[in-house]
Amino acid sequence: MILLQSPSRFLLQILQDRVLSPDKGVDIDCQTVEFDDVRYHIQFSTRNPKVMVLSVALPVPPPEAVLYDGLPFGAIEAIKMAYGQAVQILDPPKDGFDLTMKINLKKLPSDEEQRNALLVKIASVREVVLGAPLKVLLKYLATKTVAPDVDQLVALVHRPNESFFLVPQADKVTVVYPMRFQDSTDIVLATSFLQEFVEARRTAALNNAPSCMWSAAPPLELTGAPPETLTANAGFVTFVVFPRHVEGKKLDKTVWSLLTFHAYVSYHVKCSEGFMHTRMRRRVESLIQALDRAKPDAEKKKFVQGKSFKKLSLKETSYT
Amino acid sequence: MDAASRPAVVIDNGTGYTKMGFAGNVEPCFIIPTVVAVNESFSNQSRTSGKGNWLAQHSAGVMADLDFFIGEEALSRSRASSTYNLSYPIHYGQVENWDAMERFWQQCIFNYLRCDPEDHYFLLTESPLTAPETREYTGEIMFETFNVPGLYIAVQPVLALAAGYTTSKCEMTGVVVDVGDGATHVVPVADGYVIGSSIKSIPITGKDVTQFIQQLLRERGEHIPPEDSLEVARKVKEMYGYTCADIVKEFNKHDREPSKYIKQWTGVKPKTRASYSCDIGYERFLGPEIFFNPEIYTSNFTTPLPAVIDKCIQSSPIDTRRALYKNIVLSGGSTMFKDFHRRLQRDLKKIVDTRVSASASRVGGEIKSQPIEVSVVSHPIQRYAVWFGGSVLASTAEFYGACHTKAEYEEYGASICRTNPVFKGMY
Repeated sequence: MILLQSPSRFLLQILQDRVLSPDKGVDIDCQTVEFDDVRYHIQFSTRNPKVMVLSVALPVPPPEAVLYDGLPFGAIEAIKMAYGQAVQILDPPKDGFDLTMKINLKKLPSDEEQRNALLVKIASVREVVLGAPLKVLLKYLATKTVAPDVDQLVALVHRPNESFFLVPQADKVTVVYPMRFQDSTDIVLATSFLQEFVEARRTAALNNAPSCMWSAAPPLELTGAPPETLTANAGFVTFVVFPRHVEGKKLDKTVWSLLTFHAYVSYHVKCSEGFMHTRMRRRVESLIQALDRAKPDAEKKKFVQGKSFKKLSLKETSYT
Repeated sequence: MDAASRPAVVIDNGTGYTKMGFAGNVEPCFIIPTVVAVNESFSNQSRTSGKGNWLAQHSAGVMADLDFFIGEEALSRSRASSTYNLSYPIHYGQVENWDAMERFWQQCIFNYLRCDPEDHYFLLTESPLTAPETREYTGEIMFETFNVPGLYIAVQPVLALAAGYTTSKCEMTGVVVDVGDGATHVVPVADGYVIGSSIKSIPITGKDVTQFIQQLLRERGEHIPPEDSLEVARKVKEMYGYTCADIVKEFNKHDREPSKYIKQWTGVKPKTRASYSCDIGYERFLGPEIFFNPEIYTSNFTTPLPAVIDKCIQSSPIDTRRALYKNIVLSGGSTMFKDFHRRLQRDLKKIVDTRVSASASRVGGEIKSQPIEVSVVSHPIQRYAVWFGGSVLASTAEFYGACHTKAEYEEYGASICRTNPVFKGMY
C-alpha cells in the first residue's frame, strides 16, 4: 500500500455488514479515531436497525483557516450532492462533534454496484467534508477561472491547528505545505524523503505529474501569511496543480491526495524506519555469521557438541 | 489535545488471529488472521544494482518495502499468485519473525486502524511465558519505529480476568484457561498477580483440533481438494464443532438420526471452479474431544485438560485454592465450542469430589470439610475476552500512569519494558 485509501476501512466494514445481513438487530455504539484527530462515533439502535447515526469530529481549525459555521466552507452542499436522500444532516450535531448524519440504509439504491459505490462514498465522509473547500477551488481551476470573492492566499485546515495554503489563479493553483514533525529522527528522515520526492518527480515517467518543489525557507507565495504559520522544521513543499490534473474523475483523487499529504509523508517516514530496521537486523545476522566463521575449530566444536567447559579443561591438564 | 485524552489503541496479537481496536469500545474494530504475505522478488535483489533496481521497481509499480499484505488480503493474494509468500510471525504465542511482525503492526496501524501512532497510547499483549528480551524488543519497535507516546504490555490471562471486571464485582483471582490457536495455557492469577511457578501449558491447541478434523475427513475419504482441506477443516471447526457429554452416547445419537446431526459442506474448488460437497459427521464432537481425551489424537501427551487444571490449582499456594476453583475463566477462540464450559466443570468437579471423599474416608468421617465450589465461567465475548479486558483496562484513568512513556524510554532505554509488574507478586 503506497497511498492511503480514502474510505475508512472500519466504517465500510460496518456498513457492508449491516446491508448484507438482513435483520441483525444488535446495538452498536463505538468510537474510532483517525489520523489528524478525525473522530467518528457510530451508533445503531435495536429499534431502528437500518438507520446509522454517524457523528464526525474534525481537527481543531487554526485561526487563519477559512471556515463557515463550524464546518468547512461548502461541506453541507458537498454532503447533499454526494449522498442524495439516503443521508440526512442532524442539526445541531451531537455534543463534542462537528457533524451528525442519519444514514438510512433502506434508501440505498437496489443495484449492487451503485449501492457499493455509495457505501464507499459514505465511508469516505472525511474526504467529502474536509475536502469540500479544496474541491470548490479546484473546480474553478478545471474551468480555468478564479472563484469570485476569494483572497489571494487561502488557508485550509490540514491537521489540528495547522493549515496549508492555496494560491488560486486562472491557469494554475499553487499549494504550499509547511511540514512539521515532532521527533528529531522523523525531521531528518522527512527532510531527505521530501528532497528525494522532488528528485523523483524529475524522472521521465512522471512528466505529467504536478511540479513539486521543496525549500527550507518559506516560499514567496506565503508573503501575506501570518508569521506564526511560517515556521516548519521539515521545510516547505510546493505543488503546482494545472487544469489537466483536475479534469473529470481525477478531481476526487487530487483532492484526497492534497488533503492528506502530511499523513502520507509521515506514513512513509515510519515505513522507511521499519525498512531500515529490517536491513539492520539482516546485517547483524550476517555479522554474527562472519564472527562464527572466524572462531577457531576447537571453539566451534565445543559450541556444537555442547561439551562442558570442565570436561575440556580436565583433558588438557592430563596432557601436560 | 495530548495523547492521554484520546482513546488508547489495544492490539492483541494471537497466533491465529489479531484483535485490534480502540479502548472504550465493546468490540474490536478488526479481527484478522495474523499472517503477512511478502513479495520477495524485489527485496532479495542485491543492493549494488542501485538506480536500476529503483527503476525496475517503478516500472513494475511496486515499492519493495511496501509490497506486502496482511490478514485476509494476504491469504487471498497468496492463493491468487505465487509471487507472495505467506509468513506467520507468531508461533506458539511467541513472536518468531520480527521483520514480519513489524510490518504487520505497521499495516494494522496505518491501513486498518488508520491512526497516527504518535497520537495514541498503546496496549499490547503477551503470553505469560514471554521472555524478557522479547518484551524489550517489542518496546524498542514501538518506541523507535512508531514513536508511540506510551506503551503498556499486558499479560493475556490477566486481561481475560479483567474482562469480567464490572463495577459490582471486581474479582481478580482465578484460573484462566486460555486455549488459542497456537498455545494453551492454564494460568492461576491471585489478586491480579500471576503465580508464575504454577503455570501449566499443554501442547494441544486450536490448531490441533483443526488438524484432527482434517485427518478425520481425509480418512473417511471425503472429496475435498487437498489445497483447500485445512481451510475447510478450520471452517468446520468454527461453525459446527461442539462438545458432547459422552462420546459413546453421541456416536449412537448420530447413527440413529443421521439427518439431524450430519451436516453438509459445499465449497468451490479453487482451480477449476467446480463445486463439491462433503458430509460432516462425528468430527463435529470428536474435534473438541481431544482436550478431554487427548489419547485419541496423540500418544505423546495424554493428560486431559481438567486434570491439568486440577494439578495447576493444587500446585498453587494453599490459601488461594478455593478462590481459584470458584473462578475458572475461559478465553481464546478454541473455548467457543458449545457446552465446553459445562463439560469442563463436570469433569473437574468429578476429580475434586473424588479427592474430597477419599480424604474424608481417610480421616474416618470425624471432620466434615466444607464442600469445594467449582465453577467455570464463560461469557459471550470469550473469543476476544483478552482484547475486551485490554479495552476495559486502557479506558481507566490509572492506565496512563502505568504506561512506559517515551520520555522514560529515551532516558533508560528498552530495559524499562524488561519486567512486568504482574509477575512480582508475593508468590
